[in-house]
Amino acid sequence: MKNVLLVILGFLLVSSGFAQITGKVYDENGKSIPGVTIVVKGKTNGTTTDLNGKYSLNAKKGDILVFSFVGYEKQEIPVKEKKVINVFLKPGVINMKEVVVMGYSNKTKTEISSAVSVVKSAQLKTVTTNDIGKMLQGKVTGVQVISSSGEPGAASQIRIRGVSTIKPGDQSPLYVVDGVIGGNYDPNDVASVTILKGAGATGLYGARANKGVIIITTKTAQQNKPSFEFKITTGMRVADQGHLKMMNGLQFYNTTKELYRDPTTHQIDIIKFYRDFPKELSTRNYNWVGDAFKPAMVQNYYLSANGKKGGFTYYLGGTYYNEGGTFINTGYKRLNLRMNTKYQFSKKVSLRNNINVSNNYGTSYDYMSMYYVYLNLPWDNPYDSTGAPRYVDGKTQGWWSRDHINPLHTLQNTEYNYTGFSFDYDLVFNWNITRWLTFNSANRLSYSTSKSHNFVSPLAAGTYHNKGYINERQDNWKGFITTNLLKFKFQIKKHSIDGLAGVEVNNGYSDFISVEGKGLPVGFDVPAVASSEKNINGTNSEVIFRSVISQVNYNYNKQYFLTASFRADATSNFPPEHRTAYFPSVAASWLITNMHFMKSHSKVNLLKLRLSYGITGDPDIGAGRYMGLFSLNAQYNNYSAAFPYQLQNYNLTWERTGETDIGIDFGMFNRINLTVDIYDNITKNLLVLASQPLSQGFQYRWENGGIVTNKGFEISLGGRIIDKKNFSWLLNINYSKNGNILSGLDKPIISTVGGISQIYRNGAQLYTFLLPKWLGVDTQTGAPLWEKITKDSNGNIIKREPTSNYAEAAPQEVGHALPDFYGGFSTTLRYKNIELYAGFTYQYGNDVYNFVEQFMNSDGHEPYYNYMVPKPGWTRWKKPGDKATMPSMQNNNLSTEPSSRYIEKGSFLKLNSVTISYRFSQKIVKSLRLNGLMLSIEANNVWTWTPYWGQNPEATIRKSDWSMPGVNDFRYPNNKQVVFNVQIKF
Amino acid sequence: MKKIFNITIVGMIVLLMAIQSCKKMDIYPKDKVTTGSVANSSDGILNVTNGNYAMFKDVVEFNGFKDDNNCYVRQYFQMSDFAADNIVNGQRTEDPLYYSFTYTHSPSQANARYFWYISYKIINGANTVIDILKGKKNLTPLERQLEGENYFLRAFCTFNLVRFYAKPYNEGDPSSNPGVILRQSASEEAAKARASVKETYAFVLSDLKSAASLMDQSRGKAFASKEAAWAMLSRVYLNEGDYNNTIAYSDSVINSGKFKLETSASFPTYFANALNRDETIWAIAFTPADNRGKFGSIASMLYSDGNSGWGEEFASKSLRDVMSAHLNDVRWDYIDTLHTANGAIAKKNGIEIFYITKFSFQDGDPNLSSPVMFRLAEMYLNRAEAYADKGNVSSALADVNKIRKNRGLQNTLYSSVPAGETVLDVVLNERRIELAFEGFRLWDLLRNHRNIVRDYWGYHIPGLTVSDIDLSHPPTGYPNLVIPWNSPKVQYYIPIDEILANPLCKQNP
Repeated sequence: MKNVLLVILGFLLVSSGFAQITGKVYDENGKSIPGVTIVVKGKTNGTTTDLNGKYSLNAKKGDILVFSFVGYEKQEIPVKEKKVINVFLKPGVINMKEVVVMGYSNKTKTEISSAVSVVKSAQLKTVTTNDIGKMLQGKVTGVQVISSSGEPGAASQIRIRGVSTIKPGDQSPLYVVDGVIGGNYDPNDVASVTILKGAGATGLYGARANKGVIIITTKTAQQNKPSFEFKITTGMRVADQGHLKMMNGLQFYNTTKELYRDPTTHQIDIIKFYRDFPKELSTRNYNWVGDAFKPAMVQNYYLSANGKKGGFTYYLGGTYYNEGGTFINTGYKRLNLRMNTKYQFSKKVSLRNNINVSNNYGTSYDYMSMYYVYLNLPWDNPYDSTGAPRYVDGKTQGWWSRDHINPLHTLQNTEYNYTGFSFDYDLVFNWNITRWLTFNSANRLSYSTSKSHNFVSPLAAGTYHNKGYINERQDNWKGFITTNLLKFKFQIKKHSIDGLAGVEVNNGYSDFISVEGKGLPVGFDVPAVASSEKNINGTNSEVIFRSVISQVNYNYNKQYFLTASFRADATSNFPPEHRTAYFPSVAASWLITNMHFMKSHSKVNLLKLRLSYGITGDPDIGAGRYMGLFSLNAQYNNYSAAFPYQLQNYNLTWERTGETDIGIDFGMFNRINLTVDIYDNITKNLLVLASQPLSQGFQYRWENGGIVTNKGFEISLGGRIIDKKNFSWLLNINYSKNGNILSGLDKPIISTVGGISQIYRNGAQLYTFLLPKWLGVDTQTGAPLWEKITKDSNGNIIKREPTSNYAEAAPQEVGHALPDFYGGFSTTLRYKNIELYAGFTYQYGNDVYNFVEQFMNSDGHEPYYNYMVPKPGWTRWKKPGDKATMPSMQNNNLSTEPSSRYIEKGSFLKLNSVTISYRFSQKIVKSLRLNGLMLSIEANNVWTWTPYWGQNPEATIRKSDWSMPGVNDFRYPNNKQVVFNVQIKF
Repeated sequence: MKKIFNITIVGMIVLLMAIQSCKKMDIYPKDKVTTGSVANSSDGILNVTNGNYAMFKDVVEFNGFKDDNNCYVRQYFQMSDFAADNIVNGQRTEDPLYYSFTYTHSPSQANARYFWYISYKIINGANTVIDILKGKKNLTPLERQLEGENYFLRAFCTFNLVRFYAKPYNEGDPSSNPGVILRQSASEEAAKARASVKETYAFVLSDLKSAASLMDQSRGKAFASKEAAWAMLSRVYLNEGDYNNTIAYSDSVINSGKFKLETSASFPTYFANALNRDETIWAIAFTPADNRGKFGSIASMLYSDGNSGWGEEFASKSLRDVMSAHLNDVRWDYIDTLHTANGAIAKKNGIEIFYITKFSFQDGDPNLSSPVMFRLAEMYLNRAEAYADKGNVSSALADVNKIRKNRGLQNTLYSSVPAGETVLDVVLNERRIELAFEGFRLWDLLRNHRNIVRDYWGYHIPGLTVSDIDLSHPPTGYPNLVIPWNSPKVQYYIPIDEILANPLCKQNP
């Protein structure tokens, strides 16, 4: 009976033109997708694909089949003659199925309840560098990246959601490579970067996560067939001096005339001037900056192979990176080899081995060489008659520049080299004990060593002349980390529960040895030949972390999600009573688009609300900071000697941050996505070097105190504005606003580096400059003016007035080094096989202290230092009544002392990268027996728009003992570069 | 069965982890010793005592890093002599030494901050040893010596502090003028007020007397000794105006027979070899490994062989004028005139270059010396000044002549006070020449209520430019040419760090 009915039905269908269409639906990687909805447009009939991605349904010629699936773009295919229709779905702008690597576990985007950003390999590779930070600049909300040095091999500075501490030292986020804390990698081997921002995500790294977490995942095999990739990048770079230009001979000559302006008549005493400075000088134009900076090459070669066979999966990658320095005699080379393999022994047991080996070699320079390159006068010839850099010392006659040093000669006779080697071996054992329980053991052994070599030839002028100097230092680091987790996973009807629990132990051991000596024979640069003043130095140290980790994830019908984590950490950095700290976190989300009532709003393909709270910590102060210590690193008259080194504090404990995050993810038409986050991070128990009365014999003691609150707001908007077969236009914009404020400090902390001060006080932002306020130039006398403040007995300001006496000028808060907001945007235009990409990054509201201007615009204090060409509008006072910006050279007392005169706006918009690429069509590629061929031309650091009058407004944001955030010192300028890429896949 | 096996394996792994977790987590630095264990180790107090000496010559981390400028002896000489009239500045500089020339001091001045800090660090080290030995019975001879040395070092540092940061003893009322903070134990409360100048002197004198009675051994001229304590008592009493005690302690040193004045022949090589010479009572030992080079040696600002130093500060015209009467004075040997290729006196920024070489040429190195803190000549000249103050002209002149005999001036001795001069003028001029550049001149002037007169061309004149300089006549009409002896500008400010962290400590006006 049943059969009869079917026959009849079939007959009816056929007669009406209906036919059975079958086929399979694949994803972008050629994997079948189960659960894809297929409907006939305008009709009510439809079906979904089965577990193997297969479907069948009835449709007639002329019908349009609509394939849709969460996270993929809708596809419409008209029914023609063919009865079999196979479909490849393109991932939508938001791919909810996409697996996001979260460190200890992986989650799909659907499941994530906290602030997490992912950047894929292709999005990273818009700049040619060996530094992942520069690749991230302007691409991710909440991530501030600063390139404050163009020295080859220099890493950029990264801060996630502001700065949460006031202690000096590295404020970089925690790096996790392939699921294990720490590790090395080459950017070419990176498949994706996950940035964990809120505590809901970072909670599992609790103890070490309050600066955020960057998770690097290296590549694995994509398909069974062995495939290879070869990428060649080569190009040229030049130093980016920004607005900074030093004067030529004539400009400097005319500036020097100002020194001879009579203080009473205000006329230049030209006779006296010509007597002291012969006119011929004005025609001398030696270009120190031009001679010290030369175009340099940059090259990158990357070769990789990957594939699968049986239970064996492999990825092999090798990179050679060679970055020439635009400052002569500098450069950086790195060779990195990686081997990721995985053996699937059985359905239950697998073993992963990742090995990364890298070797680098760099040539650096001495700070003073950079200094003199800018400040030496255009009147001095750097070269002798043979064209070689000339030897100059204090006794050289006829040399005008102040310090009688020829940096070009120094650069030829000095070596500042370093080389490093690192080896990381990961062994990850995975055992599916039962269907719901897995044991996972991730272990890494790391070893790295670096050696520096500083050498000054006896031929070099200066303090080591005729003596020579050598210093070599070897640093070793050994690390071991083991993480052992039991992971479980249940599904009971619509309730899913999974989670993990385990233990982590991390030991780090470091040591160094250094030797120095003098008395070197000419032409030899090894310590063995040193004959005098030999010194040795060296010690070792150790840090231990022990942790208990746990997490539970629950979701109801993929609609409501809840994650709770708990981590306990103990570290040897703190005294026994305060060694252990606990870090709970909780995150919840509601995926509204998975609710039934949303099914009718098909234009909205994603709407998710997220809420998370958690606690993270920071123990990074180094070993033994709580002990009272005498250092034996001294001698007197060749006897052992110990001096008071540190005050004890047995109450020292962790910095803790409570992080709250609320976020919305929103997507429409599968083409536009929007993510908005608001956060409030409160860091308590700040580890501070609390000032002690110096009369105790100690400057500081490590203490806990004070609170930093970071509040922020982040938006990222992305979309495919045009998405046609031959033409598409992608646009991404992101904006991050972060404000921070200090509270809870007992008393203000003032930190001074190089005469420039910043204050840390309740109610102020971090990195607030505290300097006398510059009020310009006295129109009558030409003297510098600062603001004098008079206070009454209660400390209230009763009078503000200008003063020309620097000692009377009151230090005031005159700006801050952190921006109000920052971000980036990019546009990608594609026409057929040609793609044009442009990426911008911006920052607004930070102040930069232009330290070099103190030297390069010395108001006559330094008559034998060169001057920078002044910014249009800067004028020098010459006679009473002049409204000038630069004081009279006759009445300049202390005018170049630190003040807000040197504070400038550091806002900028930078065209970071422009790339034109051409992807050869499959036809051509196949004919060449390749799988892919792409050519591209890329320009990096193309242009910067900024009011800042100097090299680059990206001043350091690192607080250390020798560098102050927001201060632009004599530094290695950034570079502009153009490179050519060839990428071959076969 | 399999389940049990699985559970056993997981159990074992967890157990293994637990065992590893029990490993000891106390990690001590390998190059440091905890404060508590100084007392318990056999060489703890010896190492700490040696460390206290090392801090006079070492660059100790300040503000988180080691700045070569930050060295006790470098700053001791710069902060005293650059503020007086023996040395002229030939170069405006970012180095805070400049403020000693210009008298534009501030509480945040780096050198004055470090000097205060390192002085108290030495005092903390000294107190650590004193605290340990004070309560101990039956000290060994070495322990007595070390306790004495530490009393001496505490006194030496405290005395230099009170001279830099407080008014001279005889300016105003020493019992109400604020002196410095007296640290008597390493475990004192952090906040403490300044004692008066009078209390400070009393503390120093008491320490020195303890030191003199405890020290019985000799550890060489690089270390303090009983005689060094007497020598310092002579110096302190002179500054306090107690002339009888000055004479008494000078006598003790002179009569100890342990020291001998250098002769006219040996004096020119004295300072390069001070640790091995008979005139030295105490010098800070610099070994070749302590050579601070261009960026940190005392010599580098005063001398350069073209490469070795900056060579930016020179013997002043005022000093050279005093010495010009006797070109055969061997003390000219420590002033080295730089000439240009055509034989003229070379200039830096318009100022004639007369290098100073008292801190050079140990082992032939232009930047190396072991600076002398006490030497016999000072004892004669302290006594001479005390005699002069007491009106004992002949004894004063005899002591002056004793020095001159050994400095190539045996033919121009004083038989009487020259016309137009007082006996004190004679003594002070001799002190000026003999002890030039050794950190005496500033306090010689202040103690005797004499103004600091620097009426010569140099960059102590604010805003001076090369084009202003005319060596044919002295500068006139500029500020800073005369600093009155009682000007409050003479005292350095208490460092800002102390004021902020120690509410009991009051700032200088």
